[in-house]
Amino acid sequence: MASKKILVADDESHILNVVSLKLRNAGFEVITASDGQEALELAQSERPDLLITDYHMPQLSGLELCQRLKQDPATAKIPTIMLTARGYQLDTQDTEQNGILRMLSKPFSPRHLLSTVNEVLAAAAAAA
Amino acid sequence: MALQINHHIAGSGGVRGTVPKAVLDNLATRFRPAGLFLALLRADGTILFHDDSAGLFFQRYVLPLLQYEDTSDSGIKQQLRTLSATSPVTVWNHLPGVILAAFPHVDRRQMAGILILAAKSASFKLSEEVVRVCSRLGLDGIWLNQQAEETPTFTEEAIQRQARMLLAMMRDQVRLSSLEGELDSLSGQLANTYEELSLIYQLSGGMLINRGANDFFKTACLDVLETMGVQGMGVALSGDAAHRQEPVLYGPLSLPPGTVHRLSGELMPVLFHRKSPLLINDLAKDKTFHWLGEHARHLLAVPLQRQDRVLGCLFALEKKAGDFDSQDSKLLNSIANESAIYLENVMLFDDVHGLMMGLLHSLTSAVDAKDAYTCGHSERVAAISRQLTIEAGLPDALAERIYMAGLLHDVGKIGVPESVLQKTGRLTPEEFEQMKRHPQIGAKILQDVKQISDIIPGVLHHHERYDGQGYPGRLTGENIPLMGRIICLADCFDAMTSNRTYRKALPLEVALTEIRRCSGTQFDPILTEAFLKISVEKFRQYMSMRQEQAKDMIELQRNLQPAPAA
Repeated sequence: MASKKILVADDESHILNVVSLKLRNAGFEVITASDGQEALELAQSERPDLLITDYHMPQLSGLELCQRLKQDPATAKIPTIMLTARGYQLDTQDTEQNGILRMLSKPFSPRHLLSTVNEVLAAAAAAA
Repeated sequence: MALQINHHIAGSGGVRGTVPKAVLDNLATRFRPAGLFLALLRADGTILFHDDSAGLFFQRYVLPLLQYEDTSDSGIKQQLRTLSATSPVTVWNHLPGVILAAFPHVDRRQMAGILILAAKSASFKLSEEVVRVCSRLGLDGIWLNQQAEETPTFTEEAIQRQARMLLAMMRDQVRLSSLEGELDSLSGQLANTYEELSLIYQLSGGMLINRGANDFFKTACLDVLETMGVQGMGVALSGDAAHRQEPVLYGPLSLPPGTVHRLSGELMPVLFHRKSPLLINDLAKDKTFHWLGEHARHLLAVPLQRQDRVLGCLFALEKKAGDFDSQDSKLLNSIANESAIYLENVMLFDDVHGLMMGLLHSLTSAVDAKDAYTCGHSERVAAISRQLTIEAGLPDALAERIYMAGLLHDVGKIGVPESVLQKTGRLTPEEFEQMKRHPQIGAKILQDVKQISDIIPGVLHHHERYDGQGYPGRLTGENIPLMGRIICLADCFDAMTSNRTYRKALPLEVALTEIRRCSGTQFDPILTEAFLKISVEKFRQYMSMRQEQAKDMIELQRNLQPAPAA
């Protein structure tokens, strides 16, 4: 089976580096975007199996990115893990309507992120 | 042929000086279309890398020539010997029909290898010499000539230019690749820092003062176990904190009984003196802890200390991968620092809480002491109310508040004259009115203590009746605050089972029957059900509590009587 492709979007490059190193070491193919607009374009052209996105990003916020992906049937089903600032909570309505399956607050544990990724992908595979 | 493949990750101990294979592959691909062949040789002539996708002219003719043992002065090995770390790009054309550009690959001012760029020389023809080489290599000269015709030709100047370009590109690429390695290594370190940070956040979130210290340490140990990748993670407390928690070890590592106690007993004095982490990576050879060697290899222990006071220690046993290092010790130390602050706070909280409860008990004893017949009454009502709350399936936290309300329910009797409280006969209607004011007086006494404002309804309404015939509010049913309904039951039960000036104490069975009879009129029927489920043993305990308290009181009163004149 080809390795799963994961799109990681965050305007903080150190987060991109940490997350992609962790995921690459676990055998995933990783593509990165440093703002919401770039992430949207990459999601459309690359069709990742999973999106990990920060909430606070220039151009498009993480939530706007998810809303845009939801509008296009080709990208509507990409499961999403959202990274947020500690203490920040999204409305459950926003998360449920936009395919945001999990939320992790920064600073998150990369190990925990990896296990969350595996859970979300397993759930997506079971649902397909 | 030995090909050295080196991923060249900074700090991972890769072989020094070798060029990453990915870099060489990349460069070879760039020079191949022009008709150039890339190889990396060791100074002794061993080929470390060569372009394995090059054309047949290179694969079958040039590469074997480079490997060919030739002891004459024009052999490749002799040529290689003329190079040093400072040599510029040098062009050699001693191999028949082939032109080579060579330059040293320098790492930390040492020559770590020789880069060779090879091409077909302008002078290539099927000469006698080429034919001789062909027969030595088992090649057909005509076939080689055909291959050579498809291979571009290079002059000395042209290949030198290309080699200089290769040199510049290679320096860039090596640098780039080492930076990438460094970035990965930094990202790896950063990932560790994230793990630690998120662990510390998680721990701080669990530092609830009213949560038991052992519950906190259990979660902390399990979290550290995972983050640090160890087989066993334990905690031991000492001194003032020792009674809160037996030494304990969590995780898959199982030790024989008594080992954890022995370990914590021996660790404590060591850490008490060190006041810094203790890191042992070969327990079997350790002077003090060698006895632990048969169960684990590694031990990392850090003191739980506040200022100079050591409250205990955290210890990790048996790291899964590798040895403990300074990073582990830093992590465990910061967790110990956080935990020590928490532990100290819990101890301070308990001190203050203990002081408050002590004062409350003194206050209620003072009230009860006004009347020898009611001695210990408040304590018992408090204990029975708490038991009833638990029996009714209500939260433990509420049970503790109700205990406090039970203690204070009669505090208003301070404001009732002793002549009324201690009167042996029946009360006159005026006296009874005075007596009936004690719930309101109690509520008033407590009203300014905002920390216990939640228990005032229990004090104010413990004489209400379910049917509305009680006082002071004549409230009915569920309108009576829950605390009032609970304390009412406990209060009446204790009154019935105590001696009074006008009657003897009722036996337990009679009292319980009476309680049942009054369910729905005096008492909340649901709470009555719960009350009657309290076990007989529990009731007997409360009654024996009374005998102890009464004995103490008689003793006290006897001691206070003036000694008979001699």
